[in-house]
Amino acid sequence: MKHLTCLFILLCLSACETVQPWERGTLARREMQWEPDRMEISLQAQINASKEASSGGQGAAGGGCGCN
Amino acid sequence: MEKNPALLALTSSALLLPAYQGVRADAPPEFVELGMRYSKYEEDDTKGSKTFGGNSQRFDIDAAQFHLLAPVADNWAVAVDVQWEDMSGASPWFVGQSIDGDPKVIMSGASIEDTRTEVSVTTRYYYDRGNAGLNYVHSDEDDYESNAIALDGSFNSADGMTTYSAAISTSRDDIDPTQGAVPTNTLHDNKDISSAWVGVSQIISKNAIVRFGLAYTYRDGFLTDPYKLRDRRPDERKEWAVSGGYRQYFMWPDGALHADYRYFDDDWGVASHTVNLAWHQNLGRSTQVIPFLRYYSQGEADFFANIADTEKRYYADDYRLSSFGAITAGLRVRYEIGNWAISAVGERYETDESWGVFSGDESPALLNYWRYSFGLDYVFR
Repeated sequence: MKHLTCLFILLCLSACETVQPWERGTLARREMQWEPDRMEISLQAQINASKEASSGGQGAAGGGCGCN
Repeated sequence: MEKNPALLALTSSALLLPAYQGVRADAPPEFVELGMRYSKYEEDDTKGSKTFGGNSQRFDIDAAQFHLLAPVADNWAVAVDVQWEDMSGASPWFVGQSIDGDPKVIMSGASIEDTRTEVSVTTRYYYDRGNAGLNYVHSDEDDYESNAIALDGSFNSADGMTTYSAAISTSRDDIDPTQGAVPTNTLHDNKDISSAWVGVSQIISKNAIVRFGLAYTYRDGFLTDPYKLRDRRPDERKEWAVSGGYRQYFMWPDGALHADYRYFDDDWGVASHTVNLAWHQNLGRSTQVIPFLRYYSQGEADFFANIADTEKRYYADDYRLSSFGAITAGLRVRYEIGNWAISAVGERYETDESWGVFSGDESPALLNYWRYSFGLDYVFR
């Protein structure tokens, strides 16, 4: 797993082309955001965390809830 | 050489675009933004063949979310998020063995009613090459209270191609189980959660970006489920999560692919794979249709057993600690009209032990659910 992750990172970095600031219009579009709808993502994450044994991965964990 | 005003305006506005992408945009919001969501969450009944006592109702939850984001000075913004939940239903109490040897669930019986209110306040400072935020969250329900504080920051490389991010958080949670429905494992207890995360995102072309993250979470205190009859868990848990994400825009058919993966591992023996895929299709300038798919598979905790052995030091028959696979499929639609945006989401979540990549006994308490959300956003332009 670790080897695959490292290989993927290297492949991505080696494939990078320099993108000038004025060429980043597409990357700034709504559909290219990591989380275009934060309320939707936070609700999904809360439901999944309360029904499964794993959680987190996209930031620090924060607090819990008594969700059953 | 005389500067071309049109080119100057274009390059100036391009420079104001976020140098994408860290945890959040690098530029403070220009306008006040308001959003609200109403969600209905409905778990399927547990089938009579899986329980003692026929079909059993499980949880229904109504949730309302409000979001406010406001610029407060040149380089500062404040976000306030409030969430209310009203839940009712029953949850698995313990798993017993039927005459023919099959494990079957005994539900908590009387309907459990609870409400939860969560308030989150974030202040964020934006500097030339990134931003930093301080967040406080208070969550309160009848039997649980949590206070958490988090600090995060991101920093762009000189060429803006790479963004380094980090976050830390700590929380103090108090557990006061409601007495009456079932005997509880404690009358009052607490737990602490500490977490750290580092991430890096990299622009790889004009149309593609990738990110990686590593998270560590340490839980300490009363980690047992207070309402389950046969449940006794270690008072410590160490969790690791490695994640990766990819976004790619396609000129034709004017849409973007979202692909995310997470590997999770902890010292309870739980491991999991999560894959998220979504396609963001633009239809004209104002409509987006987003089908999405999630696959999840987890391996069971070392101390999980359908028929828990209460002679052991730790034991649990909680389906959430069993081996299973889950598939979520759904559709989001968003329509923008002027300063308003209307959105709707529908998703179906189904579980099955045979869908997982980890082996283990199938819990009779695995659940399926539907979720619908409706939303409204407004920007004060």
